[in-house]
Amino acid sequence: MTKEKFQSFWNKFGTLCILIVLFIAFSIGSPKFFPQPANLIQCLLQSTVYILLAFGEFFAILLGGIDLSVGAVACFSGIIVADLSLKGVSPVVCLIVGLLGAVLFGFINGVLINALDLHPFVVTLGTNTIYRGICLVMTGGNPLFNLPKWVKGLSAYIVGIPKPVIYVAVIGIILVAFTTKTVAGRNLYALGGNKQSAWYSGINTKKYTVLAHILSSLLAGIGGIVMLARVGAAEPTAGAGYETYAIAACIIGGASLFGGKGRIWGVILGGITIGTINNGLNIMNVSAFWQKIVMGSLIIASVALEKLISNKVRK
Amino acid sequence: MEYLKMNNITMKFPGVVALDNVSFDLRLGEVHVLLGENGAGKSTLVKILSGIYTPTSGEITINGRPVSDLTPKGSADNKIAIIYQELSVVDNLSIAENMFLGKLPTKKKMGITVVDKEFLYAESEKYLKEIGLKKNPSTLVQDISISEKQQVEIAKALCSNAKVIIMDEPTSSLSIDETKNMFKIIEHLKKNNIGIIYISHKLPEIKEIGDRVTILKDGKYVKTLNISDLEVKDLVPLMIGREIKDKFVGTKREIAPDEQPTFVVKNLTRKDGTCRNINFEVYKGEILGFAGLIGAGRSECMEGIFGAKTISSGEVYYNGKKLKIHNPYDAMKQGIAMVTENRRETGFFPNFPIWKEIAVSTSLKKSTLGGFTGMVQTKSEKNIAEKFTKKLSIKCTGVNQMTYNLSGGNQQKVIISKWLAVDSNIFIFDEPTKGIDVGAKSEIYAIMRSMAEEGKTIIMVSSEMPELLSTCDRIIVFRDGEISGIFNSDEATEEKIMLAAVHLS
Repeated sequence: MTKEKFQSFWNKFGTLCILIVLFIAFSIGSPKFFPQPANLIQCLLQSTVYILLAFGEFFAILLGGIDLSVGAVACFSGIIVADLSLKGVSPVVCLIVGLLGAVLFGFINGVLINALDLHPFVVTLGTNTIYRGICLVMTGGNPLFNLPKWVKGLSAYIVGIPKPVIYVAVIGIILVAFTTKTVAGRNLYALGGNKQSAWYSGINTKKYTVLAHILSSLLAGIGGIVMLARVGAAEPTAGAGYETYAIAACIIGGASLFGGKGRIWGVILGGITIGTINNGLNIMNVSAFWQKIVMGSLIIASVALEKLISNKVRK
Repeated sequence: MEYLKMNNITMKFPGVVALDNVSFDLRLGEVHVLLGENGAGKSTLVKILSGIYTPTSGEITINGRPVSDLTPKGSADNKIAIIYQELSVVDNLSIAENMFLGKLPTKKKMGITVVDKEFLYAESEKYLKEIGLKKNPSTLVQDISISEKQQVEIAKALCSNAKVIIMDEPTSSLSIDETKNMFKIIEHLKKNNIGIIYISHKLPEIKEIGDRVTILKDGKYVKTLNISDLEVKDLVPLMIGREIKDKFVGTKREIAPDEQPTFVVKNLTRKDGTCRNINFEVYKGEILGFAGLIGAGRSECMEGIFGAKTISSGEVYYNGKKLKIHNPYDAMKQGIAMVTENRRETGFFPNFPIWKEIAVSTSLKKSTLGGFTGMVQTKSEKNIAEKFTKKLSIKCTGVNQMTYNLSGGNQQKVIISKWLAVDSNIFIFDEPTKGIDVGAKSEIYAIMRSMAEEGKTIIMVSSEMPELLSTCDRIIVFRDGEISGIFNSDEATEEKIMLAAVHLS
């Protein structure tokens, strides 16, 4: 294989290779891990929330920004759906209102970034705390449980496949099409590549910034509802710290923090990597406290490994 | 006795000779003016003295002693201070701290070294008084005006015992009173036996303040003269005047007496005041040039027309119809294109291959809802890109090559293709040949000429006089944000343009 060929191979499949390495490592670490298809499905299921949040995060990162509020937005959507479902509102209305709430928060993020001309890091650092506060105020700090059966049903199995995996697959296909086949998707890449060039080419940079943050929050909202369905209760602290996993998934998946680079396919693999690390450590009976330490180290290691190989190839 | 001497200095950059065998000297107690057009080599000379560039060849002596390797620190050690146009004071430090930056006086307090504030303030007060700046030395620099900041820089130079002070267009942002005050300070510096290298485009003030003047042109030394025995207008012919090869080439677009202009700009004023009351008209198939010194407001005016920056008033008409332009999207939709000055910052996308680059604005124009709908047409977009790479002979391995991997000239052609693909009618070129090698330059001129012949209307902002004279049917000259002259190609000369571009009174 020539250098160029390997480089293009690594660009496309680098994340996948890292994932396979992890699979092998965990299989050696615990015999329960690999051979069982049930656990593979479990791996995917555990990845779904990360992937959905990472989908959203991806659009913020694509513009060279970041969204630190995805965890809080996910929690907020979950709380709205839980609250309305307890009041007997029909499922469809619950879901629509929950997602509209997320869209509103994303809209606020985008508008603040434009109006104050601040870096998204600063704006979402602030709104993350505000949105979390809203979650706590709405619930009085107590979890909402005893939810109607349909909520839990959102994460039920269909012919052996968990519904959240199907959601991710469908949304993933839609997003792949959006980012690669639509004019709006390409304009987001243009804006992320060079904001000034985009402006001088006629792209309305402010509107696209709002669009990216609405997408970010909407997808986080969907992730929040899946999280609610899986847990079966709405905790006001749910999803705290998940923004870090979402960011990590994007970077592992090949997105650049400088913007303009990355693919949905990579984000999916990045999310699965996070889910796999989580699952593998659980199976190996690593304590929840130690898991955090190992998880963080593995995130750095997997990005570093990918970068190391990319650099080697380039030389 | 010359304190500073630069003998036969040559400075080569890849592909350009910025200074070619230039000599310059400075006596203590004089103001020596450096004069020349944009790109004549003044800044390069200053950068050599400040130790930023090391000359390719030539020698510098200071106080009779040869100085071989001048570094920024060495420059300061040799008592050379520079006051740049973009002031380099630190806004969130006090006046005194700025003056003593990097050499704050200290004292011991309970065994710990601390800043000696009393000494610091007393010492800086002394220098501030000397140049007549009535400010408390503990005032933060962010709270004082630009002319006061400039004075702080001069005080800083004084307190570092500078023997040579270089001033780069010190009066460009000063009012008349502030300028007078600045001249008083300069007179004072002269009396204190300090040599001043003074760069300015304002010819009358050169007469007022200068003792000698050295003129540079295209990186070459022209002449050094005593200012007392010359008239201001005598200077202009020396700054210009090249061989005749820069005459207008191609067929001039003749304008019929009853012809209506296709594109008209009326009373355009930008919100930040960088250009004011601009009126001009362009005819279909014409190339209209914009000359002027850097910072005269030409690019700013074009950004205003294109909607990239806010204007406070002004109207734009295309074929008699008034256009509503609030942003580049509106301009693009209505057939206006802009090829910007800085390709890297505002021109292309580092993450896009050629075909996507060319397709961006086209797909935006076809789409609705302000550019949010529509699908990417990969196949036809690639075909269009291939058509343009052939038409403009863009040297590339194919339309999948990344734009940033191309040479400057080919990048420019890709950007031109982008706007041709949108089918724009009005083309604004801002410094279209900046950073492009000679061969590619003439290709760009040819492209512009053939576009004009195909009925496009072209506006060309350029700081290179020869290319304006050889390409444009008419030339408008800007001075300080306003139009100061319009010339037809048959009557335009470098001298006339230069006289309109600089201040004579």
